[in-house]
Amino acid sequence: MQLFLLAIVTGIMVGSIYALVALGWCLIYKCSGVLNLAMGELTLIGAYVCLTFYTWGVPFILALVFTMVIGIILGFLTEHFFLRKLIGEPILTVIMVTVGLSFFFRGVVELIWGTDTRVFLPPVFPMKPIVWGPVIIGQVYLWSFIAAIILLIAFVSFFKYTRWGLSMQACADDEMAALSLGVSAKFVYAMAWAIAFMAAGVGGTLLGNINGLNISVGYLGLLVLPAVVLGGLNSVPGAIVGGIIIGILQNLSGAYLDQYFPGGVKEIAPFAFMVIVLLFLPYGLWGWERIERV
Amino acid sequence: MESILRINNIEVKYHEVILVLKGVSIEVPEGGIVALLGANGAGKSTTLKAVSGLLKHEDGEVTDGSIEFMGERIDKLEAEEIAKRGIFQIIEGRRVFEHLTVEENLMVGAHLRSSGKKERLEMVYHYFPRLKEVRNVLAGFVSGGEQQMTVIGRALMAQPKLMLLDEPSMGLAPLLIKEIFDIITRLNKEEKIPILLVEQNVKLALTVAPYAYVMETGRIVMDDTAEKLKENPDIRDFYLGLTDVGQRKSFRQVKHYKRRKRWLT
Repeated sequence: MQLFLLAIVTGIMVGSIYALVALGWCLIYKCSGVLNLAMGELTLIGAYVCLTFYTWGVPFILALVFTMVIGIILGFLTEHFFLRKLIGEPILTVIMVTVGLSFFFRGVVELIWGTDTRVFLPPVFPMKPIVWGPVIIGQVYLWSFIAAIILLIAFVSFFKYTRWGLSMQACADDEMAALSLGVSAKFVYAMAWAIAFMAAGVGGTLLGNINGLNISVGYLGLLVLPAVVLGGLNSVPGAIVGGIIIGILQNLSGAYLDQYFPGGVKEIAPFAFMVIVLLFLPYGLWGWERIERV
Repeated sequence: MESILRINNIEVKYHEVILVLKGVSIEVPEGGIVALLGANGAGKSTTLKAVSGLLKHEDGEVTDGSIEFMGERIDKLEAEEIAKRGIFQIIEGRRVFEHLTVEENLMVGAHLRSSGKKERLEMVYHYFPRLKEVRNVLAGFVSGGEQQMTVIGRALMAQPKLMLLDEPSMGLAPLLIKEIFDIITRLNKEEKIPILLVEQNVKLALTVAPYAYVMETGRIVMDDTAEKLKENPDIRDFYLGLTDVGQRKSFRQVKHYKRRKRWLT
């Protein structure tokens, strides 16, 4: 029972980080229909930027804020230099460009920061674990969870209540009609990339705090795929719930299945789950079904 | 009367080779309604898109002539820039944002002019009381008439200086069409919004608009006041489907083809 509770709690907390990254991913898909295969590399860049600030002696919170600012700038730059010219081209072309971007970003990261595992030193969060009855959990997890939740709330209210948030959703729905109302599609795409960079950067940083930071944090980008597929590709709440479910699933399979299938069942379980979900729910949990009035 | 929009002899090409408009000239007077009539494929929607700048989004281009709005050339501007100047096109086919609620749809309309949007929302609900009832329903699920009201209301939220209305009657029940056209007339009278109206329903359009242009295959073939057009034997024959006696037209009359040829070339 204790193992079960522990797996669930850890799962929710790690899952909230996945949710954050999934949200960024889903946003780009929603606005422009592009599967962003460079998401993992975005998390890498963000995490390393934050680590650099931190090692320079910038307080962690401030470093995180700087990371987000740099994320916005990088998002706008990426959109401007690599993707703007592709507006109106077939989606597959744009997806292939994101594959290219992922190699490019990975190369840049290895060039600047090397391939060794780096850790946040001194540790950002106290090492002393928190004990809630049977559940013992590291403070890193708890704080990551809180940070992720705050950001998720901020992003969701941005979509729901601000002018640009609404316009982004409008653009996702019908680009032409949005254009006719004076919504700039280019700016909407740029903003989607900026937010994705920001969310990915924070997600990467939090994960780097838990496990240490090396190039493998980038695989987070791949893990986000089952999360968004589960939630329905273009649903923001879906991406969040999907991320948390994937987190729980991963930890449960790590706790119970690892003894039968030793060696990395934790990594595969989300993908197996994704395939099963797709069999029964092709739109995911809350994906857009084609609205047809009768 | 002073013209707010002046289209001077424009030529439009899609993909740099397909010539769609071959010299179209239209004027919309300040505060007036002008109708643009014609069969399918005549180039009516393309004309509207040329004005609103949405043409560029479909790889089309104004290659000759000019479009002037309030004395300034706008034919080379981007769609957002044209929208900022106050021209809003209501695209044909009730293009609501399906996954947003009706009220959110209206709010997107206020994207460029956020000040005073509460009052304008009230104004839209004043003209379209039905929208108030369905304000929190996803726009994809409301009825066709309500969707048409939503897209018109959405453009109203933007405080348009010129509204380009593309076939508001498409696929709606006759009673609803009447309701919507009444509102359009009221908007023009009370809010003083000039309207360029594209319509297939010629009879209806001529009751609303005092002046109309007729298009055929990329050219303006006729323009006159609504009274004169209603009396014109060709219009009566081809668009209103009436013969001189006022009976339904019979296609057995071979004369039909001869006459059509005469004013096309």
